[in-house]
Amino acid sequence: MNPTDVAQSVLPLTSADLSIWGLFWSAHIVVKAVMIGLLIASIWVWAIVIDKTLLYARTKRAMDRFEQTFWSGQSLEELYRTQSARPAHSMAALFVAAMREWKRSFEGASRAIGGLQMRIEKVMDVTIAREIERLERRLLVLATVGSAGPFIGLFGTVWGIMTSFQSIAASKNTSLAVVAPGIAEALFATAIGLVAAIPATIFYNKFVSEVNKQAQRLEGFADEFAAILSRQIDEAA
Amino acid sequence: MKAGWTISAVLHGAVLAWGLVTFVTKPLNATPPEFISTDIISDADFSQITQGIRSAPKAEAPKPLVEKIAEARPVEEQTAKVIDNKPEIVPTADQVQPPKPPEPKKAEAKPPAPQPQPKPEPKQAFAKEPAPKVDPIAEAIKKDTKKPEPKTQQKAETPPKKVEPAKPQPKFDATRIAALLDKRDPQRKAATGDTLSNTPSLGTAAGRAVTLSQNELDALRARLRECWNVPVGVAEARDLVVTVRIQFKQDGSLQTDPRLMNSGSHPAFQVAAESALRAVRTCAPYSFLPAAKYEAWKDVIVDFDPRDMFRG
Repeated sequence: MNPTDVAQSVLPLTSADLSIWGLFWSAHIVVKAVMIGLLIASIWVWAIVIDKTLLYARTKRAMDRFEQTFWSGQSLEELYRTQSARPAHSMAALFVAAMREWKRSFEGASRAIGGLQMRIEKVMDVTIAREIERLERRLLVLATVGSAGPFIGLFGTVWGIMTSFQSIAASKNTSLAVVAPGIAEALFATAIGLVAAIPATIFYNKFVSEVNKQAQRLEGFADEFAAILSRQIDEAA
Repeated sequence: MKAGWTISAVLHGAVLAWGLVTFVTKPLNATPPEFISTDIISDADFSQITQGIRSAPKAEAPKPLVEKIAEARPVEEQTAKVIDNKPEIVPTADQVQPPKPPEPKKAEAKPPAPQPQPKPEPKQAFAKEPAPKVDPIAEAIKKDTKKPEPKTQQKAETPPKKVEPAKPQPKFDATRIAALLDKRDPQRKAATGDTLSNTPSLGTAAGRAVTLSQNELDALRARLRECWNVPVGVAEARDLVVTVRIQFKQDGSLQTDPRLMNSGSHPAFQVAAESALRAVRTCAPYSFLPAAKYEAWKDVIVDFDPRDMFRG
């Protein structure tokens, strides 16, 4: 192979443009798939992040409002009537579930007070579990993207470097001009993987702590409400 | 969730669009690297490299410094001003005394024509007036008239003989010593050779071979050679080699006393051995030896050979 041939074969590589579109378009099909997958993962992660941020803010506001009305001295019956009229979440759901069980036991034909305390606690536990499930839903996606994203990007990089080594073998030339574009493309995959994974990991940790906080708040309210109902049961008996 | 998806997709699209605009759109124009040719040389080659001028043009073979084309003749001192090859040296005595040599030349040229003229004149004058009276004069004149002919012939034949005695010996006069001094700038003859070359070529002219770049053993040998005071009887001795083992510390000083490694039957051997050991001791801190290569010179055996001083 004479030098001019080498120059000819090298020329399209050297003039490869390093814009984002150029990097994507000149990549191997596998690397392209990896890039597209990671882009979708990133979009998904951010969708979840936005959704969860809004959800937690909403839940926190609802809890604050409910606690305020609960401790304002309003009667439980009245509060139950207003809360059960619309679909309730979190603390309100907990209250509604417990009150429903209470009412069923008292207002039915046969009064079943013996195991009422235990039943109320069970119902509240189930409701707490459901609420936490609702808060935690899709957080696993964040965890998965956060841990697997870099690996997926690395896979694209390895594949891209393999193809760029093949181009070295084809051009029989190891100059930077031959190697650099292929490696730049390949590294672009890792970059996208990191772009997707870093926010996913950060927000996953933040949301997990947020869920724990809200779950503890629910448990605390459940215990308090159980204590109140328990006193009511004992007084009624 | 739908809102989340929408917002996320819009944000990603915005970031991508921004990246398309601002990300490097410059093509990668990597210029091919320049090739540097290298040669592998041995230590001995390196020791004998002659120093050249880095910027000198590459010549096929080193040429001597030559300023004029003529028969080859080297220049002793290169700093003095160059003159033409004419030997302009004038005897310093000429500055004191008027030049004499031209006079004998005239005498040499004229002899046939003018000289006969003055001789008849006195002859006529003397002959007319006091002819009978003054015999001795007339005789003397006669003698004169007769004599000049052979004398002029003599002059014509051998003018140099007359010049030599006529040349006055330059008298030493202390007051005129300034006039005697040669006030010209120091000059030198132009160097001549086959081809003109004004610049020292790459790697010659004043190449400092061994002193410039010695390897460590060369340096050690040179140092020992300086220190060894060869005894009188030993210098002429044949087949007398003193082998000495020297062990160094890392800082170049002697670790142990130098040891004699051989023995000889030569009567002067003991003297030579003593002198060699003394040389090693007196030169003692060999601090020029590079500490990085301590392993190479920590234990050395050197042959002190009076014929070529020694080999190591």
